[in-house]
Amino acid sequence: MNIHAKSVGAVRYVGSRQPRKEDGRLLTGRGQFTDDIRLPGMLHIAYVRSAAARGRIVSIDMDAAREMPGVHAIYTQADLAAVPVAMQTFFFTPIEAPVTLLADGRVACVGDPIAMVIADSRALAEDAASLVEVVIEEETPVVTIADAKTGPLVHPDRDDNISAEMGDEDTREAIQPLLDGCAHVVSTRIRHQRIAQSPMEGRACVASPEGAGEMTVWIGCQSPHLAARYIALVLGLPAEALRVIAKDVGGGFGLKNIPWREEVAVIVAAKLLGRPLKWIEDRFEALTASSHARDQDVSLTVGFDGEGHLQAAWCDYACNNGAWPMGEDANIAVHMFMWPAYKLPAYGFVTRGWYTNTMGLGAYRGPWAMESLVRETLLDKAARKIGIDPVELRRRNLVYLTDQPHTSTLGIPVTDITPGECLEKLVASIDLAAFRKEQVEARKQGRYLGIGIATYIEPTGAAGSMAPMTGETVHLRIEPTGKVVAMLSTHSQGHGTATTMAQVIAQQLGVAYEDVAVYEGDSAIGAFSPGAAGSRQGVIAGGATWRAAEMLADKVKVVAAHLSNASVEAITIQGGMVHVAGAPEMTRSLREIAEIAYGEPGRLPEGAATGLEAQYRYQPPPMTMTSAAHCCMVEVDAETGFVKILRWISSEDCGTVINPGVVEGQIAGGLAQAIGQVLLEDMPYDARGNPLAPTFKDYLMPAISDVPDFEYLHASTPSQTIGGMRGVGEGGCIIGPPTLVNAIADALSPFGEIEELVLPLTPARVLDVIEGRDISGTRAHLEGGASAAVEAVLPVEVAAPAAAGGIDGDWNMILKTPMGPQVMVAHFDTDGSAVSGYLEAPEGRQDFAGGTLSGRQVKFEMKVEKPMKITLKYDLLFDGDSMSGKCKMGMFGSAKVSGERA
Amino acid sequence: MKPAPFDYVRPGSVEEACRILSEAGGGATVIAGGQTLMPLLNLRMSQPFVLVDINGIAQLKGVTRVEGGTRVGPATRQADALGDKTLARHLPAFITALGHVGHYQTRNRGTIGGSVALGEPAAEMPATAVALGAHIEIASIRGSRMVPADAFYIGPYMTVLEPDELVTGIVYPDWPDGHLVLFREVAQRPGDFALVGLVGALEVEGGVIRRAGIAWFGMGPTPIRARQAEAALTGASLTGIDAPGVARAAVADTAPFDDHHASAEYRRTVGARIFARCLRETLDIRSAA
Amino acid sequence: MSEHRIELTVNGHRHAALVEARTSLGEFLREELGYTGTHLACEHGVCGACTVMVDGVAMRSCLMLAVQANGGAVTTVEGLAEPDGTLHPVQQALKDNFGLQCGFCTPGVAITMAAVTRENEGAGAGQIEKALTAAMSGHICRCTGYQGIRRAIRQLAGATT
Repeated sequence: MNIHAKSVGAVRYVGSRQPRKEDGRLLTGRGQFTDDIRLPGMLHIAYVRSAAARGRIVSIDMDAAREMPGVHAIYTQADLAAVPVAMQTFFFTPIEAPVTLLADGRVACVGDPIAMVIADSRALAEDAASLVEVVIEEETPVVTIADAKTGPLVHPDRDDNISAEMGDEDTREAIQPLLDGCAHVVSTRIRHQRIAQSPMEGRACVASPEGAGEMTVWIGCQSPHLAARYIALVLGLPAEALRVIAKDVGGGFGLKNIPWREEVAVIVAAKLLGRPLKWIEDRFEALTASSHARDQDVSLTVGFDGEGHLQAAWCDYACNNGAWPMGEDANIAVHMFMWPAYKLPAYGFVTRGWYTNTMGLGAYRGPWAMESLVRETLLDKAARKIGIDPVELRRRNLVYLTDQPHTSTLGIPVTDITPGECLEKLVASIDLAAFRKEQVEARKQGRYLGIGIATYIEPTGAAGSMAPMTGETVHLRIEPTGKVVAMLSTHSQGHGTATTMAQVIAQQLGVAYEDVAVYEGDSAIGAFSPGAAGSRQGVIAGGATWRAAEMLADKVKVVAAHLSNASVEAITIQGGMVHVAGAPEMTRSLREIAEIAYGEPGRLPEGAATGLEAQYRYQPPPMTMTSAAHCCMVEVDAETGFVKILRWISSEDCGTVINPGVVEGQIAGGLAQAIGQVLLEDMPYDARGNPLAPTFKDYLMPAISDVPDFEYLHASTPSQTIGGMRGVGEGGCIIGPPTLVNAIADALSPFGEIEELVLPLTPARVLDVIEGRDISGTRAHLEGGASAAVEAVLPVEVAAPAAAGGIDGDWNMILKTPMGPQVMVAHFDTDGSAVSGYLEAPEGRQDFAGGTLSGRQVKFEMKVEKPMKITLKYDLLFDGDSMSGKCKMGMFGSAKVSGERA
Repeated sequence: MKPAPFDYVRPGSVEEACRILSEAGGGATVIAGGQTLMPLLNLRMSQPFVLVDINGIAQLKGVTRVEGGTRVGPATRQADALGDKTLARHLPAFITALGHVGHYQTRNRGTIGGSVALGEPAAEMPATAVALGAHIEIASIRGSRMVPADAFYIGPYMTVLEPDELVTGIVYPDWPDGHLVLFREVAQRPGDFALVGLVGALEVEGGVIRRAGIAWFGMGPTPIRARQAEAALTGASLTGIDAPGVARAAVADTAPFDDHHASAEYRRTVGARIFARCLRETLDIRSAA
Repeated sequence: MSEHRIELTVNGHRHAALVEARTSLGEFLREELGYTGTHLACEHGVCGACTVMVDGVAMRSCLMLAVQANGGAVTTVEGLAEPDGTLHPVQQALKDNFGLQCGFCTPGVAITMAAVTRENEGAGAGQIEKALTAAMSGHICRCTGYQGIRRAIRQLAGATT
């Protein structure tokens, strides 16, 4: 199955369902979650949060609360500001919204933290919090994307409510003629609801200041290393004085990518107060005041030729970023990964994030998953319109192995993806014709069966392209006892990394799985890695342990060969015993070898280091692609609109499967979340900006009865990485939604199309399609809600004076790119209305010419080669000694420019 | 998510409980199983000064036969009631409905009285009490009274119970042996409150419906008796029932809400369907109108 | 706010404590007695993570006050395995079938399954599977998609017939 696995031991651990190493403690109540930490003198925190979505804080009266016995401190932003904090994104770029740990004079969403109460117990802290009186001068909130387009500014110091923008409206003009020439043009629109990530353990943080500068932090996170780096960076703390521990974390799903306002506030407060502090997010906070996810409005139009071949596509994507996103996001990945698995000649898009007065946007398993949902549901719609089988439509357009290498319209190269092969394997395993026959028969009896198929690829194991996405280090040693210890930077919030890494080590080293201990979950061991983020640990840490174990095995062989006076090639390690070919009497245990290696240096080969240790940091290829095709069968009850899932088959290719139990667990968990997104989960806001699902009674998490038994097919095409793994953490959550929607749409096809997909597909919305009327009230809500209660924003009056002293000479200029601000010197020379000059940055200088000056406005263009070939179009307005404007950067959208005369 | 502070008392008798409730002057709340109250306390949506635990009052527990009916003590655990032979024999509709209440774990602690007295409009047991014509037995230091279930509920989580009063029993009248049970519930997950549901009983004799008791849940601010449907069915011959027509009449008595799980229109539309289907299937009307 | 002296056993060990009236059983077990295996994940009775047995009956420890457990016998997840470390059959079944990932909901799941299997001792495989599956609707697991839990249920049902 795995061509990379050298036969080093008799036991094939890779590919086997080894019982998980994590389970022993977790099943017996001996796990160590953050709330299980108890420290002498530890105090507890409760937050006072805004009940208003938008407004000015008039006063905060804390007198009564401060007088309560057991209350030690109540902090507002004025107090926390004593420690400077500059919040950053997961990519270590600045947050552009003026985010502070606690509200700074204004609140911008319900749940905005205003004050933190520190008391002897959580209950006392909540008692005191209820006595803090906050007066807010309320303003009409901006709640939806539609509100954001016309409403007042969410952040008054910003120019508009666009938080991030990429792509180019101009490409619409280029794509339109292509669409006009197509035999079939199909459009779709999807409004994806807001999701609360809802790990079963909410966010949690314990901060313990130790001495003058040291701090130990226990935190619910996805990587102690990333959390440590983040905390050190945003607080300006010396990283060496900070230790972050997270042994057990009850789920992350992207929410815990980075510590956010509340967790950082705990750390700051611990510094200020000099006491260990604990904050445990309760479920009400988790649902209403943890970052949310999705909340998108996307339209896609695709043209096909007469035979169903893709010709061109245009997409308009919008995402509600809320007030305080964990990173302003236009979700460029949606567009990058929409088409690399398909042969599409032309694609254009515009993509934007919008600020609103709602809780901020965070990551959620497959943050770019919309690409698969909108593409795959459109393809099925197109298949019905063109009159072609949906499988056949995909066959005509998918990039099969024989089509590779292939480069997508947006420049994404693919060399070893297998979506087509996964589809063939899937189709071969189900009797489609029989299902169609059964479907026809069932319809005669008023039963509506449907089948949905979807295919996709997923970028996994990214390393080296973005700040936090790096390789992985493993420190591996055989102890003098002969047992094996691995120190890793991996982190499991359920991923079972201690299990899978031990399997790789045991196999590659030739020892028993039970004899390998894996330590992780502590920034004091291992080296930097972002942990569980972007489906990367199996790929990269798996590769690191794979190689390190081989290196260590080599060292054992050298020592054993020397001791036995044999050649290294004659040595094998099996089951913890070191054998010499042809000399069974010379077999030694690893323990014997280890005791000599550590304790009797004189018996080692000359120049050999003592001990049995290996360290390896693996830098994999920049990206490793996973592919899959899924099939789902449903029955829709036409009387009630309820959907029952009858069968679900996953055909995935995640390369080498280290542990099928773990891999299938990842797929199943993602699929359950997909089912939740399509049918159940929803965090709507009312027009006043109140979240309407503040408890698990209102926010419907999938239960056991909602999730069918999944069936699995593994293609296991090894990747280019050491070990041949491909990531599998997010896929179920990406491929699941379109698979299920397609099955429902197929079942509903006798009644008509789901013209606009509004998620979740509640029973009422299913009935809308069946009966062709607005039973759910969704249309009335969407059409009536947008313009209500929002005043149009007036265009800002631009100051009039002309550029005194001309623009000639040097200007210090800042270009705010999606990757962070870029500082440069701009030099202009004018000759009448003609402008030329150069831009100079640390990376080099580039000249331009052919620019124009018109009044105070300067426009010029510049072609660049890196990171890809694009033309930068500058449009600048000069005002005395300052200037501002924007730079259009092709598909990367517009970046703001500001500057002053040098 | 911790409750606001309160005092806790555990009286040993109804009299003692009533005295405490009276002395608290409206500041006391009764806890039985706590499966609905405890979430409200934890969320600080309910902040009583005194919590009166009635689990120690033996006379409030258990199922007994009384003149013309069955009396259920309010502190009887739902799980115990589910396994009770008297209830199974005399009140099959009660047992059917109870099987849909909450989950295994909450039924182990939750009580019949708690469910009936709190008056969640989308819950099964208040509607069952209304449909079967139960009376709520109420005590206070001022005396005791019996209130018909359909007069007990006045709004969401609002009943005629005065702050000093305690529910001491729910008395369900007998329905004759062999009476038919109506029950349908549309809920998104097991244990959820209903999007729409109905419960009821029909007494049939000689091919004619002699008596009908039917109530909706999830169809308005309280459990709602389907009076027009009851009237249409009472005296009707089984062969002449226009199920969709009766269902429309039943829905005419409702006043459902919109929320993000379902619209009022959905509840009405699907309510009419499940009502008609329930009638057809229960009465085995083969020639559906 | 009243305080109450209570006595109870937890996993067979006797404890006496002074508790505030408002303290839930779950919080009491965790904060006062150190049985941190019981997890509080929603504190409003929906998720099931805090499920413990009181006098052998599975219930939500977030929906019961500590003072109400006075005189009772509580079993938490720490009390399921044998003293020698041998896992309870439900723990073993969950382990054998990848029935947990992050493990935060697991203590409640294990307690429910232990209670249901005991209540259905001697019943047929079909009945045990049905009872366990029905009781699982009272638990939310965000990680596993319930696949391993369902397989564990089948293993338990098969093992006891």
